[in-house]
Amino acid sequence: MTTRTFTANYKSLAIISNFIVDQAEMAGFPPKEVYAIQTAVDEACSNIIDHAYGGENLGDILIKVTESTKKFQIILVDQGEPFVPQDVPAPDITSPLEIRKERGLGIFFMRNLMDKVVFDFSPTNGNTLTLVKYKGD
Amino acid sequence: MEFIVTEINQCDLIAIIGRIDSFSTPQLDEVLKTLVGNDHYNIIVNLQDVSYISSSGILAFVKIQRKFKREHQGEIVFVNVPNLVFSSFEMAGFNTVFNFFDDIPSATGHFSGIS
Repeated sequence: MTTRTFTANYKSLAIISNFIVDQAEMAGFPPKEVYAIQTAVDEACSNIIDHAYGGENLGDILIKVTESTKKFQIILVDQGEPFVPQDVPAPDITSPLEIRKERGLGIFFMRNLMDKVVFDFSPTNGNTLTLVKYKGD
Repeated sequence: MEFIVTEINQCDLIAIIGRIDSFSTPQLDEVLKTLVGNDHYNIIVNLQDVSYISSSGILAFVKIQRKFKREHQGEIVFVNVPNLVFSSFEMAGFNTVFNFFDDIPSATGHFSGIS
């Protein structure tokens, strides 16, 4: 398991992406899957900064990456406000642009790109987001 | 992220280099806002050297495209979009609200055709 802690700000996003891309490449994923994992984690971290902390430099993001023969798992932990995914509506991706509402794209991306996305909150541990990509599909 | 803005055949060509994420999107917003504020409505964005785009980056373009559609003038089009970057536009359903061209002459030709 590899664990890293990052300051929750937008400048960290590129550093987090480099870390995740390295880990996904070492796990043997092809470029398309590496990009998918990078996108899911970037969207997750942006959501943590924007919604859980409600701004930059108000806490950390702990990222744990584990890998087995069958799966690649990323756990993101923050100490921000509880995140309730059910409160985020599914984005409208088909209406004419003039009337389209895009809120919720980040979660939509995560769910589309990863095999498993689990949000959890506890008062002691904060928000825990688990992202899983299975190998060999 | 870096921007190089040049004029070509009465269009503005923005070449973007690097990542478009929540860190760099405010700079992108600013570049687009300045062009539109100066009544520049034919915008070609070259994404050849963009390694990554987030939903916030896509939405920066969407915001301007929506304004153009509502006001019935102006358009943002893209050229040289890497496949992985295009896949994000596609997933978000925005591949249908922008025109994508393989090269700059095709994009300038599109604007000459509609002006």
